[in-house]
Amino acid sequence: MANFTDDIFFGTISELNTGLKSKQFSAVELVRAFAQRLEQLGPRYNALALPLTAIAIRRAKDVDKELKRQRYRGPLQGIPFGAKDLLSYADRPTTWGARPYAAQTFDYTATILNKLDNVGAVLVGKLAMIELAGGGGYRTAAASLFGPGLNPWDRSRWSGGSSSGSASAVAAGLVPFAIGSETSGSILTPAAFCGVTGLRPTYGLVSRHGAMALSWTMDKLGPMCRSAEDCGRVLEVIAGADSEDPGSAHKSFYYTPQYYRPAKDLRIGYAPVDFAEWAQPSARAAFQQALGVIRETGAKLIETKLPELPYGPLTSTIISAEGSSVFEPLISSGEVDELADAKQIAGLRAGLEISANDYLKAMRIRTIVKHKIRLLFVDVDVLLSPSRFGPAPKISEPLDHHPGEQETPKDPGMSALIPAGNLAGIPALSLPCGFADGLPVAIQLVGHAFSENQLIALGKEFQTRTDWHHRRPKS
Amino acid sequence: MKITRRKLAFAALGSAAVVRAAQAPGQPEDLNAAAKEQLRKNSEALSKFDLPMSTEPAFEFKA
Repeated sequence: MANFTDDIFFGTISELNTGLKSKQFSAVELVRAFAQRLEQLGPRYNALALPLTAIAIRRAKDVDKELKRQRYRGPLQGIPFGAKDLLSYADRPTTWGARPYAAQTFDYTATILNKLDNVGAVLVGKLAMIELAGGGGYRTAAASLFGPGLNPWDRSRWSGGSSSGSASAVAAGLVPFAIGSETSGSILTPAAFCGVTGLRPTYGLVSRHGAMALSWTMDKLGPMCRSAEDCGRVLEVIAGADSEDPGSAHKSFYYTPQYYRPAKDLRIGYAPVDFAEWAQPSARAAFQQALGVIRETGAKLIETKLPELPYGPLTSTIISAEGSSVFEPLISSGEVDELADAKQIAGLRAGLEISANDYLKAMRIRTIVKHKIRLLFVDVDVLLSPSRFGPAPKISEPLDHHPGEQETPKDPGMSALIPAGNLAGIPALSLPCGFADGLPVAIQLVGHAFSENQLIALGKEFQTRTDWHHRRPKS
Repeated sequence: MKITRRKLAFAALGSAAVVRAAQAPGQPEDLNAAAKEQLRKNSEALSKFDLPMSTEPAFEFKA
């Protein structure tokens, strides 16, 4: 029996794969160790939605048989993982983090989970999330069937949303990687707050068949991992065409960062105001240091800013209109009142009243957003900005209230990069880059559509020069 | 109304619908009215944007 130390629980996918191949431990031993740890410690962070230990161990036995026959399926074979509870897993509860769906089951499994199963990755549990991925808006971290997501670095702080459990489970060493989803910030935010590496893929690259819909035109699924390299390994498996997803881009992804331009050949756009003024004072040193690391790679840093467009009203209108349409039966039946967050209830109800004119206008302006963002990438290869401008807020604070807050800078810089990137459907990679008030902070790299390999190549370069992604919270 | 860093930052949080949360007043009894008011403000912001007739919505129809 292997001795499972923190070095294993916080190991990368390639390290765990090496351990399996060298017979340091079997798939059953590895899966059992992670599954038990998830069951034991997951509730400490309100991260666990559904343990799947028994099923996982049975699946790991199959993997061991394959490994014994030297039937290798790639680097994820035998690696445990968790998935946000908006993904269906046949005949088991899929709650979408919301009380009205607490007993919901599907008779099929989400495409993304089948793809991971096909290469021998083992699902050990489903992970907690903000109810309905925050579709109606929410005021508190407690807007979840599972309670507020607690940050492994400080349990008085939020783990972020809406992929709360996915981020905290990776950060606490409960799973080597997890699947999250993003409509506008739901991978990048919790990844930044918990100090893990998160990748939001290009819209349409990863099938959403079997995932809860919030916004058909904006929903994406992506990996949350220990490193940029791990994100690439997972994306290679989960990307690909799927006729069951009407938004599928019918493209594959092969993880080949070695064939992409080195950092010294890249033009990186950034807005100094993001780092000097938008960043919260406690986080500025970490962000400036990260900027320095990027500069040391030899990349050419170019001052830039986002086109001035109404990103907030656009995102709000589109997600509200589509989300309220998705959940119209819930709203009409009155079951919406069972949700935990009163703001969420009010937001979903109000969304049904958005006029066709407003929705179409928003979608027409979105065409302009896509065009102008595409033009931005004529002058730069990658955009760089803090993922969030400060560390995770306290769970006791309303998310929309912070005493002593300062007024915003006049120059918007790239402060709206998360909604802008999501409206444009382009990829982003969040990389831990230091600490503020003892909590992780992160930078995001954003590229043009289907530039994931380039982002990962730069992310790897950053992570060879820093060790923030190796830091572990105290157990 | 004072726009603060935090209020704007939460525009990007989880779902854009949090924009409403970030801009709404705090009383629970006002929540429905505040949500509707936010939609009105969104509509007003979008209406200021002139679009040529040829600008189609960002949908992709597949026959």
